[in-house]
Amino acid sequence: MYRFIWLKDLKAAVHTWKGLVWLLVTALIFSAASYLFLTNRELSLLDQTEMLWLLGKVIIGAALLVTVIDASSLITAEFENETIESLLLSPLSLGGLVLGKLLAALTTWLVVYAAAAPYMVVTAAGSRLTGAFLVYVGLFGTLAVLGFTLLVLAVSFFYRSLRNTLTTSLVILLALALPALFSPVLKTSTLARIAGVANPLDSIFAGLDNVLVDYHTGLAANLGFLVPVLVFCVLALGFLMLSVRAFQRRGIAKD
Amino acid sequence: MAGVISARAISKSYGDRKAVDGLDLAVEGGAFFGFLGPNGAGKTTTIRMLTGVLRPDSGTITIDGHDSRDRQHIASVIGVVPESRGFYDWMSGEEYLDFFAALYRIGDRARAVRQLLADVGLADRGGTAIGTYSRGMKQRLGLARALVNSPRVLFLDEPTLGLDPQGQEDVQQLLKRLNEGGVTVFYSSHLLHEVAHLCSVIAVINRGRLAAVGTLAELQRQTDSEDLRDIFMALTND
Repeated sequence: MYRFIWLKDLKAAVHTWKGLVWLLVTALIFSAASYLFLTNRELSLLDQTEMLWLLGKVIIGAALLVTVIDASSLITAEFENETIESLLLSPLSLGGLVLGKLLAALTTWLVVYAAAAPYMVVTAAGSRLTGAFLVYVGLFGTLAVLGFTLLVLAVSFFYRSLRNTLTTSLVILLALALPALFSPVLKTSTLARIAGVANPLDSIFAGLDNVLVDYHTGLAANLGFLVPVLVFCVLALGFLMLSVRAFQRRGIAKD
Repeated sequence: MAGVISARAISKSYGDRKAVDGLDLAVEGGAFFGFLGPNGAGKTTTIRMLTGVLRPDSGTITIDGHDSRDRQHIASVIGVVPESRGFYDWMSGEEYLDFFAALYRIGDRARAVRQLLADVGLADRGGTAIGTYSRGMKQRLGLARALVNSPRVLFLDEPTLGLDPQGQEDVQQLLKRLNEGGVTVFYSSHLLHEVAHLCSVIAVINRGRLAAVGTLAELQRQTDSEDLRDIFMALTND
């Protein structure tokens, strides 16, 4: 029955123009980034592989921002618009509800990825990295979006309010993205290295660097970068299960 | 049929406040059961526990012989017009009912939706966005949603709230027809004349406890009052 929730949310994205707005915003971001990389005098001096790495970071960063904002309203809107009770009264299970919402968020990522694909192909032209660029941005992006969506859904069941869910989720995203802004010197410190290993976003960006700058395109050579992201997904799933269980105990009325 | 709805010693607290306190209820199959109580008496909490969306802190509930925690079975036999009345405003009435018919795995959904819209008097507005509906039309749509699975037990929390007199009359006639067809109706309302007119058995709760239950004649004898308003006041004035 998750299929009907998924389809409903996709229709809602079309009816409320939300989906089109996300597509437009991300396309503008990718256009601006690609244009800068290719035409700016300083940025155009970048090695092509460095440029691909930067574009990959922009695509995954934009996708995560869209995911967090979009997914924050998937469950909370049902609470705030008082539609959750009717859903809970139907034979739909909570698992089906969550799966439908998860697929809706992953579909948004798929649309963002499809919008990014032409930019990736054009900027990677002549580098012989086009395939690896498309595959690894897709792989790392899918896992990151999956983990963050699970996390946002867990927070949604906990707070039941869009404002609180959005604020908390953005703070978590910002906290995990912060190390990406550290200078290379700062990243060599022991503390930064430990934080880097545990941070899924750091692992994703380091993984893209490994593929695009160091030309290690095989899956085996990138497993070390995938593990922290997978661990993040498992932890987020665990948090979601706890959050759903707490919701089942408390019921629809808040104490 | 007997004991279609049964609640034994159910309680529910929100923090330190006891919303429902050891409530016992038994509703026989085919009854039109009125459920009255002042604001904050625990009516909505009780309905939410009976319909399985809220777990009682203690006590047991069975609906149609099944524990209320058996959500799949309960969902298949009950229809509910809940207190919360949210709708997907961007959907049309038809799309809305079709969505719920799909969740209930109804076979011929298009035909079922047409019939439901006709039953609640929305046949000519089925294709219009719910956001453009009046409050009364949304009430009717909520009732249609509650009937989408042809329920054997119908829970209604203030179903005629916001309806004009004609709308109230239409809903009452529909509920009477359903009840005559064997549907058990659990009816919570502040409109005492409606309850007196429709219900075969009336329960009054106050501060989360059952104050009285019986036919209108029994409640009249018990409180030495004629009018249901006086009965209500006598049972709920502390």
